[in-house]
Amino acid sequence: MAREFRRIPVAALCSCVVFVCFGCARTDPHVLTFAGSAVGREGEAIRRQLDSFQALHPAIRVEVQSTPDAADHRHQLYVQWLNARAADPDVLQLDVVWAPEFAAAGWILDLDRFRPQIDDFFPATLTANRWNGALYALPWFVDVGMLYWRKDLMARAPTDLDELRQLATRGTREQAIPFGFVWQGARYEGLVTVFLELLGAFGGAILDDHGRVVVDSDRAVDALTWMRDSIDVDRIVPASALTWQEEQVRLAFQNGQAVFMRNWPYAHALLQDPSQSRVAGRFGIAPMPATSGGSPTAALGGSVLAINANSGDSDAAYQLIEYLLEPAQLLTRARIVGQYPPRPTMYETKELEDALRIAPSDARRIIEHAVPRPATPIYSELSQTLQIALHRALTRQQEPRAALHQAGTAMRSLLARAELDREQP
Amino acid sequence: MMRDETRLGWTMALPALSVIALIALGPILWAAWESLFLHDLRMPWLGRRFIGAQNYIEALSDPRFWGAIGHTLAFAAVSVSLELVLGLALAVAVDSMTRGRGLVRTAMLLPWAVPTVVVGLVWRFIFETPAGLMNAVLVGSGVMADPPIWFADPEAAWVPIILADVWKTTPFVALLLLAGLQNIERSLYEAAQIDGASVWRQFTAITLPLLKPALLVALVFRTVDAFRVFDVIYVMTGGGPGTATEPIAMYTFSALLENLRFGYGSALSVVIFVATFLLALIAIRLMGRRTLIEPAS
Repeated sequence: MAREFRRIPVAALCSCVVFVCFGCARTDPHVLTFAGSAVGREGEAIRRQLDSFQALHPAIRVEVQSTPDAADHRHQLYVQWLNARAADPDVLQLDVVWAPEFAAAGWILDLDRFRPQIDDFFPATLTANRWNGALYALPWFVDVGMLYWRKDLMARAPTDLDELRQLATRGTREQAIPFGFVWQGARYEGLVTVFLELLGAFGGAILDDHGRVVVDSDRAVDALTWMRDSIDVDRIVPASALTWQEEQVRLAFQNGQAVFMRNWPYAHALLQDPSQSRVAGRFGIAPMPATSGGSPTAALGGSVLAINANSGDSDAAYQLIEYLLEPAQLLTRARIVGQYPPRPTMYETKELEDALRIAPSDARRIIEHAVPRPATPIYSELSQTLQIALHRALTRQQEPRAALHQAGTAMRSLLARAELDREQP
Repeated sequence: MMRDETRLGWTMALPALSVIALIALGPILWAAWESLFLHDLRMPWLGRRFIGAQNYIEALSDPRFWGAIGHTLAFAAVSVSLELVLGLALAVAVDSMTRGRGLVRTAMLLPWAVPTVVVGLVWRFIFETPAGLMNAVLVGSGVMADPPIWFADPEAAWVPIILADVWKTTPFVALLLLAGLQNIERSLYEAAQIDGASVWRQFTAITLPLLKPALLVALVFRTVDAFRVFDVIYVMTGGGPGTATEPIAMYTFSALLENLRFGYGSALSVVIFVATFLLALIAIRLMGRRTLIEPAS
């Protein structure tokens, strides 16, 4: 059953590929396929970029292979293709947390062979792409979790978590704002990124520098307790937030119902649009505040570019990646899609300010606090375990300590089963 | 002569049997074989190792597995009981109608015709907080001042799930029972009336016993279906909060398709298969010859 299961979609996809490429000669060694987001504005951007790349390199043709936008579905598809050793797609847009998994599986190429120029990337964005000391992918754009705050309710962003709690409490009690603080509390990956930021704020981590599980440390318990108490005790976070993802959170803030919001950069442009937003021009962004025991932390998201290990033409594939990572190309994407470039020097330019319509220094200050999620091939499974534990504690099915202890034990046995507990990435 | 006929019989049945073998038996045996391996697409460096019953041992010692079994059984028990009671009431009501029965019967089937995923989404929308219809009604009518955050509460989350399932499948049960009711000889009721039996007495002494075969069929179909519940919960709660509403089919889905653990996921599939198979066997035993071969009266 398992094998059939794997083959049927692959066969179906192969026929799709054949169909898509109908008319283009698949024997030509210089036909590349690019797989990634190809709908909406991202689709518009990538098609424009590929056209200009082909104009520069007439010998290379690039086809776009559309993939689902939902991260889980795209991941599933990639696994099926790569596990079947398909030669297409050549260049893959990966979510930043997948790179170690695909690298450990031998599905993507070690990029060190191309001697990539890596001095102008934010260091955290590279760390996330290393496995066993080698670099397997290059960052394309960065997403960071950040604090949106209301300029009309306070003079400056809170400098620590206590101040945030006070301002949020004041907002709900005295300024008649329904919610003090909103974040993504549904049981999904977003919850882990929120937790990661508060964990950093309390000085904790999910894995330590040696790859050992430390998610059940006292600091982690404090962080999770803070999250739970902000719902039940301080009552600054609505209990409904435990079913919310990015969009519900954004809508609450956009309608002026929240003092603070934790969200990704994409919300910025939407919130600035006065035709739909009640807080246009009345909010600012800042790094998530911390406690004295930790430091401001921004969960690192975003996409990276990698090359299929079975690609028929990895040199051309690398040429395409290099092209897409040129500052001018990153600027195009910043302008069309609003994505933040991974190159720090670009944040000193006026062009980026115009493209993103945001003060680049603000964005840069947040990105410098970026912390990648654990760079381990089994991240998805670790995350799923953690999501369940966090959600159990937040919905009061378990005490934070018990939930994290259980998650820690499960994560250790997962690493042991994967035989990763001995290795030091 | 007889042997020839037997051989001919087998030959004629062969195409059908081989199709069954190909699409049913083959995959089941394959899954059973696969369940003996450590085969994890997320950990390809481990290869595909034969580990015997290890996957089954892991499942049986996993609290999440037992939680999922518990949720499935509880869901099946509650939703099927409600569906049978409501379906019976509906069937009796429609059966006693003298006019417009065809129209009502068609209208009744509408919820059944709506795809389950759509049903789930609609009910989720109704119970969404804070802007859902249900909470507005509950607060507005004064029934509850502070209604729960349905999908963030491990107990309350079951309410919309069960409501959605009952809403969707009661018509199916009702229709099965209606067919059973219409098979009951009218003269029995006339005789009972002459003997002075009350309506309730007629119901318990005539309707229920004679309806038993139809009730059993409905019970079995619904129980087997409820045991495999997936879609309605997937769209409504995704198994949450935590894993408080996760049924066994969703746990298997998570192991097999999200974590790509083919060996372990196959072991879970085999467990579901065996459980459903046993249910079906018991059912066939219960209904057996008596129901299926002999007519109801």
